Amino acid sequence: MSAQPHALIATFDKTPDLMRAAALVRDAGYKNWDCITPFPVHGLDTAMGVERSRVPRISLAGGITGFCAGMAMIWFLNGHDYKLIVGGKPFFSPLFAFPVSYELTILFTAFATIIGMFVLNKLPMHYHPVLKYDQIHRGLDDRFFIVIENRDPKFDPAATRALLATAGGAHITELEE
Amino acid sequence: MKPTQPTPAGSAGILPTSTPQSAAAAAVTPAVAAAAPAVATPIATAPAVAAPTAAAAPAVAAAAAAAAAAPVVTPAAPAAPAAPLDPAASSPYAASAMRAFGIGIAGLAITATGLFVPGDAHGFALSYLTGLGFWIAISIGMLLWILIHHILDASWSVTLRRLFENWLPNFKWLALLFLPLVIVSWIKPAAIWPWMDLSTPLHDGHGTVGSDILYQKKSAFLNRAWFTAACVLFFALWIWLSSRVRKASFAQDSDGDPRWTSSNRVTAAFGIPLMALSLTFAAIYWFKSLEYHWFSTMYGVWFFADCARGALSIGALMMLWLHRHGEYKGILNKNHLHSIGQLMLAFTVFWAYIAFSQYFLIWNANVPEETFWYNLRELNADGSVNQWWWVGLLLLFGYFLAPFLLLLSYKNKIVHTRLKCISIWLLALMLTDLCYNILPALKDGHNDPRSFISTNLVWVLSTVAGVGGICVWTFLRNLPAQKLIPIRDPRITECLTHHE
Repeated sequence: MSAQPHALIATFDKTPDLMRAAALVRDAGYKNWDCITPFPVHGLDTAMGVERSRVPRISLAGGITGFCAGMAMIWFLNGHDYKLIVGGKPFFSPLFAFPVSYELTILFTAFATIIGMFVLNKLPMHYHPVLKYDQIHRGLDDRFFIVIENRDPKFDPAATRALLATAGGAHITELEE
Repeated sequence: MKPTQPTPAGSAGILPTSTPQSAAAAAVTPAVAAAAPAVATPIATAPAVAAPTAAAAPAVAAAAAAAAAAPVVTPAAPAAPAAPLDPAASSPYAASAMRAFGIGIAGLAITATGLFVPGDAHGFALSYLTGLGFWIAISIGMLLWILIHHILDASWSVTLRRLFENWLPNFKWLALLFLPLVIVSWIKPAAIWPWMDLSTPLHDGHGTVGSDILYQKKSAFLNRAWFTAACVLFFALWIWLSSRVRKASFAQDSDGDPRWTSSNRVTAAFGIPLMALSLTFAAIYWFKSLEYHWFSTMYGVWFFADCARGALSIGALMMLWLHRHGEYKGILNKNHLHSIGQLMLAFTVFWAYIAFSQYFLIWNANVPEETFWYNLRELNADGSVNQWWWVGLLLLFGYFLAPFLLLLSYKNKIVHTRLKCISIWLLALMLTDLCYNILPALKDGHNDPRSFISTNLVWVLSTVAGVGGICVWTFLRNLPAQKLIPIRDPRITECLTHHE
């Protein structure tokens, strides 16, 4: 067992308690912490100070890549590598390359979104120390938890414990790595 | 925790129709309706009271929202709505309504002077048709959004729906303003729609409309009797559907009976197909038939795309205006704007999709009966590029690409001034889109379309100002006559607590 615990976990009975506590932890300047709730709590992201997701930017990059890939592909195939007259049309026109580019835009956007979401969330994650907490299943049922990890620069076993106690957290427990 | 949310949790008290809270809520005056969330605040600030309410609510999400928002509430949170207004006092919008009415009359008066400008009666008539069509499209769009709201049982748009309901009485004015066009087409058949007079010579100089095989084949549809009957039917349908959704919605304000919601859902179920048919045929009769040689199955869908996006843009402007005016403080949150912005983005893409499909299929098939429509919007007969080519490019980049890129951003959808600018821009481009579809039917001596920038544009703009003034006047007169928000709608809580 390490000298410093991996994290501190505190239990809350009701959403209002959790919301208040989350705002306190946020205002104390913690970064590496999380709330565990049995259902989505609207407004909790604001209370936690979580910023908007950065996934849309990755999606946009994917979409632009897809569009350019479609245009380039049709140009290369029909306008450059193997010139072919179809229906009296020019060898290359963005018009008939558009449906393909548009489909690839959607496809690449979807890939970028899924992959971006996985990467930013560090998924897949097969193990997490909170799973060792013997009460963690209550977080899927009728309890709310706040976990503050020791990699947070502000983490201090005594001060963090005091903060969680002030915030109204019960059963404050140290989690092992 | 910043009190970013208004006091939406408080409105949990007005959810069930039979609770004492809802009875209290029903008693509020229209002006006080804006204060509804604040009225119920004390109920929900005590979590002990909020919890049982939440437990009783069948919708888990609603319960969570109510419970979660409870601690957020502070007494000062709901930026207190404008001081309660005495319903007997004059409407807070009276001054604005009169200004709109003044603009309306002035615009119509300027348009009327066009009657006395000699020479170009056809150009004048089509300009009037364009300006009037702009507001008819927006009104159709609003009616459609109300019906779509009901059929999908939407929650976020409950308050927006009420604004649209207050706009709908416009259909009678629009019908009245359309009437001259129908009367003129009986007095002087070819004045507006050339196919109404079989002796009209064709543009290429070979024969008349009556001897034109393309007219003969379409004459079962394109004849004056059917046209007149259809116009009457369209406006009758729109007025009837409007009065149905309005009546049910306002009745629910007073008795809180959820059956009004079901009744509106039924109206929506049969109303949406009727709207689809009527707006398609209206677009074909009024705009597309100006160049009756043409074929396009996309035309009705194109008109729908304009209707829907135009209505959303006006809806966004209405919400922002009411917020700036004070009434919507505590009602409007950024998620409402995010939602309407998302729909504007969706319809930007939708418009581009159908406009491109129409162009692409015609370009690909390369059949003269279809390509002429685009050819004359790009080139004159001598091969030189005309103004409509640039208008077409403006539509491509200004009506699709620019709003598409702008509306991708979250901030542009929720920052008031930005959304306002985008909405106004979209409306301006929607008008340009209508011009692009209607005005090139006017030909000059060389059989080329007359230029975009011309005196006709003056009549288009004066008609837009005139009819728009009348529409806004109607809206502002109806607004204070009903509660500001549908206070007893079963989904009003979800709307006020709307979240991502």
